[in-house]
Amino acid sequence: MNMTTRMMTRRTALIGAAGALAAPYFFHRPARAADAIKVGVLFSQTGGLSIIEKSLNDATLMAISEINAKGGVLGRPVQAVVEDGASDPKTFNEKASKLVIQDKVPSVFACYTSASRKAVLPVFERRQSLLLYPTYYEGFECSKNVAYTGAVPNQQLSNFIPWIINTLGKKKFFIVGSNYIYPREMAKVSKILIEKNGGQWIADEYLELGDSEWGSMVNKIKNSGADVVLSNVVGDSVVAFYREFKNQGMSQDKLPICATVTSEIEIAAMGPEYAAGSFTSFPYFMAIDTDANKAFVERYRAYVKNPKAVTHHALESAYFQVFLWAQAVAQAKEAQPVPIRNALAGQEFAAPGGTVKIEPQNLHTWLTPRIAQWQPDGQGKIVDAYKTPVMPLPYVAYGETESAPFCTGKGLDTARLKG
Amino acid sequence: MPGKRTLDYAAYAAFIGLILCAPLVLEEFWLNRIAKFLVYGLLGVAIALSWGYAGILNLGQGLFFGLGAYMMAMSLKLASPTSLQQGSATPVPDFMLWNAEPGAKTDLCCINHGSFLWTPFQNPWFGIAMGVLVPVLVATLIGWVMFRKRISGVFVSIIMLALVLLVRLVVIDAQPVTNGFNGLTDLGNLVVFGVELDPYEVVTYYVVAGALALALIATRMLVETRAGLILQAIRDDQNRARYLGFDVPLYQVFFFAVSAAIAGVAGMLYVVVAQFASPTFMDLSFSITMVVWAAVGGRASLLGACIGAIGINIIEARASETQALVQAWRAVIGLIFVLVVLYLPRGVAGFASDAADAVLSRLGRKRPPAAQSAEERVAS
Amino acid sequence: MAEVVFIGLSLASVLLLVALGLAITYGAMGVINMAHGEMVMLGAYTTVLTRIYLHLDLLAAIPLAFIVTALVGYAIERVVVRRLYGRLLDTLLATWGVAILIQQAVRLELGASFFGLHIAGLGPGLQNVAVPPELTGALTLGGVQVNAFRAFIIVVTLLLALVTWLLMYRTSIGIQVRAIMRNPRMAAACGIDVDRVNALTFAYGSGLAGIAGVMVSGFKTVFPDMGTPMVVDAFLVVVVGGVGSLVGSIFSAGLLGQLNGITAFLSNDIIARAVVFAFVIAVIMTRPRGLFAQRTR
Repeated sequence: MNMTTRMMTRRTALIGAAGALAAPYFFHRPARAADAIKVGVLFSQTGGLSIIEKSLNDATLMAISEINAKGGVLGRPVQAVVEDGASDPKTFNEKASKLVIQDKVPSVFACYTSASRKAVLPVFERRQSLLLYPTYYEGFECSKNVAYTGAVPNQQLSNFIPWIINTLGKKKFFIVGSNYIYPREMAKVSKILIEKNGGQWIADEYLELGDSEWGSMVNKIKNSGADVVLSNVVGDSVVAFYREFKNQGMSQDKLPICATVTSEIEIAAMGPEYAAGSFTSFPYFMAIDTDANKAFVERYRAYVKNPKAVTHHALESAYFQVFLWAQAVAQAKEAQPVPIRNALAGQEFAAPGGTVKIEPQNLHTWLTPRIAQWQPDGQGKIVDAYKTPVMPLPYVAYGETESAPFCTGKGLDTARLKG
Repeated sequence: MPGKRTLDYAAYAAFIGLILCAPLVLEEFWLNRIAKFLVYGLLGVAIALSWGYAGILNLGQGLFFGLGAYMMAMSLKLASPTSLQQGSATPVPDFMLWNAEPGAKTDLCCINHGSFLWTPFQNPWFGIAMGVLVPVLVATLIGWVMFRKRISGVFVSIIMLALVLLVRLVVIDAQPVTNGFNGLTDLGNLVVFGVELDPYEVVTYYVVAGALALALIATRMLVETRAGLILQAIRDDQNRARYLGFDVPLYQVFFFAVSAAIAGVAGMLYVVVAQFASPTFMDLSFSITMVVWAAVGGRASLLGACIGAIGINIIEARASETQALVQAWRAVIGLIFVLVVLYLPRGVAGFASDAADAVLSRLGRKRPPAAQSAEERVAS
Repeated sequence: MAEVVFIGLSLASVLLLVALGLAITYGAMGVINMAHGEMVMLGAYTTVLTRIYLHLDLLAAIPLAFIVTALVGYAIERVVVRRLYGRLLDTLLATWGVAILIQQAVRLELGASFFGLHIAGLGPGLQNVAVPPELTGALTLGGVQVNAFRAFIIVVTLLLALVTWLLMYRTSIGIQVRAIMRNPRMAAACGIDVDRVNALTFAYGSGLAGIAGVMVSGFKTVFPDMGTPMVVDAFLVVVVGGVGSLVGSIFSAGLLGQLNGITAFLSNDIIARAVVFAFVIAVIMTRPRGLFAQRTR
């Protein structure tokens, strides 16, 4: 072999040795103040998902600072250890194990996508740690180590579909979504509800996640004969979808888009004129007309120093779940994951959007379904709302009902799933 | 010069010794984290072999990593407590219920179209075998067509890039069989010969470190064989090698497949230490990123590329966990990439070798050869 | 059916719009510029900032975006690319790093976010680009309703392709560029200032990406990572068309666009994407030099 290669390998060995010498610095962190309760905050600060996750991160930190301003929990301040998930499940997995195992935080506020939650789940389950997850998701999960504070399908659809059929009078659905689990599960629950309420679905089509080329799909919708579009499109694709829809000459009056994911963020980005007249079903809207919510929006805008910042459903959940957590810690009287989890069950809080409660059986959250119609000013006008919160049913697509929950304190009753 | 070869092996021995001793100083979290990074080191070896020695820059190495990962994950999913009918002879992954054909029996044979493909994966050895075989098979097939047609350079890169994106698309779309975008999660631990490979236990670390050590030694020996030397001749001048009568595509396909096998093993081990498989393994950015690791470490050196991958990931982990850099760490990494390509074209390993050359030639003038070689031994 | 053809045409025009600049930097200069997508992104952000700070609409942003991205491209050529001519794959790696840097610069609001400041129009979020009212909605052309903005994009793309062709084949600088493309050393020996021409060519290619950014901002989402997927598609177009052949790129964009549109019509968008990738692989396998290969040394 030649001289160069030999030297190269020799040098690399030297680098390796240097790495070993530096190890004590690399592998040990300086001790922190003992009196603070440390919690993990793990959302994407970089990469494509930082669009939304940055706002969840901000809402979490704002809640923590508000709690600290009132004296913290158990007389101790709450200290956030912020990590970046970098929009990549591999990174989420690694950072979660860092927070749980190395930093030994008792709870982590984390994750936006299901893919990232699934990637961190083994870490929490093995360590009996606690994850608080603020996003609406597809359900079908029953973990003792996760509290879910976003909506599950029955809280977004069980009011929406009957309302579309009965109040809007639209009966022929074109279901469209991004190609992954959540939209496909939403489509499944929707079809059950559509058929139950005497409507029919004409098509069930998907576009690659993140794709924003809607020409063909919108053309299909136009020629399908449907009189309503049920959209489970997520992320940046939403903007392109609504724009293409209007630009191909369709009107929201004749063929309204009824969405389960389109939030204030996407509306602001697409330009409100494209969405005006369309509908979204969410438990929270920025336009909820209560003093508590208005004050919340003001505080959030001041916190992020952006007078035009918008609040949305996942953001509100990211905010109130910190308070639910703080109440649970206060009740448990110790900052350990299992006692916090046990105390979290049944915890209630007056969130900006109304009262929320953690269901003791499945650690999901009671939320109030609402439907809003988007206005030309970019705000949702609430056209229909439940009077009281609705019980979360993560297995509704498989026949779960309020009286016969599948997921209980004992875990998932898999016998019921077969059917 | 026998002394030099000894030295070279000493460098490998030092690195292998280092990774084998690491558990003595590493606590639980870093043990698991370094195990993940050693998996990336395996990827570095795979890339250096195909790029540095065969001159084939594969921008779709993530394809082989992903295939290996999915094969392993399928076996572990069936062994997971979350699978339906767990413990019986017919476990079924929970997500298959989501896309079950109406009225289908809850059984791998027929719960949905394609679920029967999972049946043999109940035996973990089948998953392990497939984790190597499938990448090798794919690499051989595509390599056979490409290299017979004398496609080279950037065109190979683009074919592999398009291929990895195509496979990623199909994996996400085939949700009933692959669980789509969420990937395969909630996995059980791998049990081999009665030993459970818990990702946070030392035994798992040693499986990964052992695989890396083995891969380093085997590839090092491989490139020194006659076939390895012919391969390097092909890299340097394909036509001349062809005129000398060598079956050029045969050698290229062989090393391409070996590189794929190593990446497949890396994918399998990643699933063992991280407990999930995801279509993001086949993202374009991951495939490019791993090439950059190898470039930073030194594309022409198996050990250099391996250390490059491990080193960048340690830097990345430290930078992104420095609270002041949480938002900016990516810029730091981007800057390192640019600077290394501009100023250290042969990577850190190349730079280091030049520096060592300069020092040694100075020493060599002053001392007799015997003393020099003793000096070198001490230094390495 | 006319609608399907129009959609295919508009898909093709978007592909070509992004690929034009790449056809020049990659085809003529042998630089794989992974930061090309970030040039598109910068063009889109220029549109956003033009509206916020200059109160001008999308049309006015076209020249501004060209200037901004051409300048950035010029700087990248001077600082990074210049040192890497002849090292094709190294240009790919270095510009990948540059791409990360540009994305982070936009996301961190050029560093202002470290000081707790906020620059409206930058940052990690989605941005809103207003489209002039006359370009929204649908036009009726020959009895078919077509998307007005997409029709506008087709026109702009054709114009840009024409201008580029004229520049390359009917001006003295174009002759110099083509001479360098064939044989840089010989071109230098003939008295062509290779450094200068290369820098200008790279700047022009980047400027085209900037205009593409303005155009796509009208119907796609504007955010810091928007460019990465686009650059991949554009590469496939250039390689399928034949490196160094402008006509080849135009033809292959048309082909891939129609293939995508028709397959999406007959089955669905996901299968259409898969078919396009498979087609690209098949083309490179059978004709590695592309459909319109040009003999270069």
